[in-house]
Amino acid sequence: MKKSNAHAVLNQLLIHALVLICVGGTVGLSRVYLRHRIAVTANATKGFEYELAQVERDLAEVNTQIARERSPAALEHKNAQFRLLLAQPTEAQILRIDESPEDRLAAKRNIQRFATEAAGGSAAVRFQVVDLGRP
Amino acid sequence: MSKGFASSRRLAALATGIFLCFGAIGLRLVQLHVLDRDQMLAHAVKVRDSTIPLAAKRGDILDARGDILATSRSLVELAIDPWDFVDYADYLRETRPAEAEAILTAEQHKRFKLAELIGVPYAQIEELYVPGYREVDLEKDLYDDARDGRTKIRWVKLHAGVEESVYEQIQHIAAGPSGEAYDALPKAYRGAPRGLAANRAYYRTYPRDQLAAHVVGFVNKEGVASDGMELFADEYLHGYDGWRESERDGRRRELAEYRRREAPAVDGWDVVLSIDSVVQHTIELELLDIATQYQPDRAVILVTDARDGFLLGLANYPTFDPNRFNESSAEERRNAAVAYEYDPGSTFKVVPAAMALETGAITPSMRFDVSLTSINYQGINRTFIKDDHPILYPVTVHDIISHSSNVGAAQIAMRLGDQGLFDAAHAFGMGEKSGFGFGGEIAGLINPPSKWSAPDITRIPAGYSISVTPMQIHQAMGVFAAGGELLRPQIIREVRDREGKTVFAFGREARRRVVSPTVADEMRRILMRVASRDGTARAAAIDGYQIAGKTGTAQKLIEKRYYSKTQHVGSFSGFFPATDPRLVITVIIDNAHLDGNRRNYGAAVAVPTFQRIAARLIPYLDIKPVTASSSPLLAMEGGRR
Repeated sequence: MKKSNAHAVLNQLLIHALVLICVGGTVGLSRVYLRHRIAVTANATKGFEYELAQVERDLAEVNTQIARERSPAALEHKNAQFRLLLAQPTEAQILRIDESPEDRLAAKRNIQRFATEAAGGSAAVRFQVVDLGRP
Repeated sequence: MSKGFASSRRLAALATGIFLCFGAIGLRLVQLHVLDRDQMLAHAVKVRDSTIPLAAKRGDILDARGDILATSRSLVELAIDPWDFVDYADYLRETRPAEAEAILTAEQHKRFKLAELIGVPYAQIEELYVPGYREVDLEKDLYDDARDGRTKIRWVKLHAGVEESVYEQIQHIAAGPSGEAYDALPKAYRGAPRGLAANRAYYRTYPRDQLAAHVVGFVNKEGVASDGMELFADEYLHGYDGWRESERDGRRRELAEYRRREAPAVDGWDVVLSIDSVVQHTIELELLDIATQYQPDRAVILVTDARDGFLLGLANYPTFDPNRFNESSAEERRNAAVAYEYDPGSTFKVVPAAMALETGAITPSMRFDVSLTSINYQGINRTFIKDDHPILYPVTVHDIISHSSNVGAAQIAMRLGDQGLFDAAHAFGMGEKSGFGFGGEIAGLINPPSKWSAPDITRIPAGYSISVTPMQIHQAMGVFAAGGELLRPQIIREVRDREGKTVFAFGREARRRVVSPTVADEMRRILMRVASRDGTARAAAIDGYQIAGKTGTAQKLIEKRYYSKTQHVGSFSGFFPATDPRLVITVIIDNAHLDGNRRNYGAAVAVPTFQRIAARLIPYLDIKPVTASSSPLLAMEGGRR
């Protein structure tokens, strides 16, 4: 009886030890898995950082290239290369006006329109009534 | 009580096993964490812990329209490790003898494509792949198998720096059968050639090459700001590098999960200049023209906004390309606009004239006998510098300036007195730094009256016995354009952070009032006559625009001992529209070489340049003509009196 009791106690102890090991192992494994996930996430973040840095490097290169292409010397070279004959306007080609440019353009357009009407045989200016289709 | 599931022997064996295992682990842990703790910890810290520097990006230098004048970008330095390729070839022959030769032939194809991509002859690359040794001290011979006083050369430079896009192509070289998709190729047949090593670094680049080189300056190969705005505004531009505490694995790769502390890098700020690339290009083209036509020793052109003193263009000849600064001489890198002194000649005459008007020593209607050859001043007979075109009738200050009379200018200066003339020069900024701030600016030289010799009172008003910088003459002329105030010549418009927000903005800064607005107006009228039909700068005229300015021609001082009769510094400094000034332009040409009997005077060499620059900038900057009715001044009628 005594022997059986001792066995039972030992068994209990062993079971508790095994349970403890299992629980400890589970906790340990969980912790390892957690560390693994942290590592994976951290590496993914590092990867994104690297990609971002690469994009910034590419952007810097493109910006440099654009700046080079937009330089006055490069644009003049292209003008000559493609025979675009683009030239800066001179003061003689510029008509400076003091009035509103919109009014001036409108007046100019209207003068031309009235002149066309007059050339068509009718001295009077005619306005065409637009039918909006309303009853 | 339950009997249990195991016999005592089994239990004892299992328990013993478990406890032995745990005991062994425990003992090992005790050994690692207690007995060898210090040693292991030191090793771990040494091997794993690392502080990783985080490089800050240097800010850009932009022109007035936001175009990039200086920026940073990464380049990839390429090198060959020939021994890596030798080891690879040996490995292939041992482990994959059947495919070895095919793979090595593919490697050869990769190197051929590499040569094409980076523009280096293929034969040169093959030469770099020949393995070699370098002699080293025996004590330092620790990195290869044998301690024989020589070590394997594992870094042979191939290219100083290829662009990122080229490096990307290098990393995707395909050496398999044509037409096969890159990803479908076996690993050995794709990617960069074996033995190719790369090192990425940030370099400063100047996309507009020599444009505004003396303003922008440069950063040297070590990344140290060395000249120009790069050095002057380094505090704003350089940013602050950061760091990160982390750990590395056995292959020196960072273990991102062990990042502990981080101080992020702070990128530098952008500096926006007042320089306009188009204006700058215009004046540099003119300088190129001058260089081709006259082969001068030196030439300077300055363009300033007359309203606030900000520089729109500053160009020197000779110049340099900041991308290849190491190929230029110190003389080419010298910013002559502020670091070169010369005798200004007649452009200086405006100084005594204006100050004499300001102090009431003369009046606009006062007449002077300029036919004299000498005059008694302070009890001593002083001989005048002869005029090139003597005038035999009494003239006003208008005539003296428009005809650039040395005799008349000396008489005006005598009315100011020695000290008065000295003070006038200082008031206009001569003999002191302009506040430009960089480029190795010098102060010029004007001796105090106590050190003057007897002829100096006749020579200084004509622009001799005094040394000035081009910038000083330019800002002196700007006094009249700015209504009598001496403006500080500025070049930084604003400083922006990386988000584009303005951190600092700079505005008009008057150093002092030199003359009253009334005298400034009077001087504008006087200077308008210089560019009229009977002035010395008639070629400066532009239809519809009132031009004001002053020519200057000074004999060059040779070896600080004597004045040359053939070498001159020709100059013209002026502004327009005279009655509502927008631009101040100064052109200075040192020792122009003209054909035949033509003389290298300011009127012949500098005035036409001024006129061409003004004519080109009028439409570009939309400078409207000021008509007589809208002018606050009355235009003077030209003609000799």
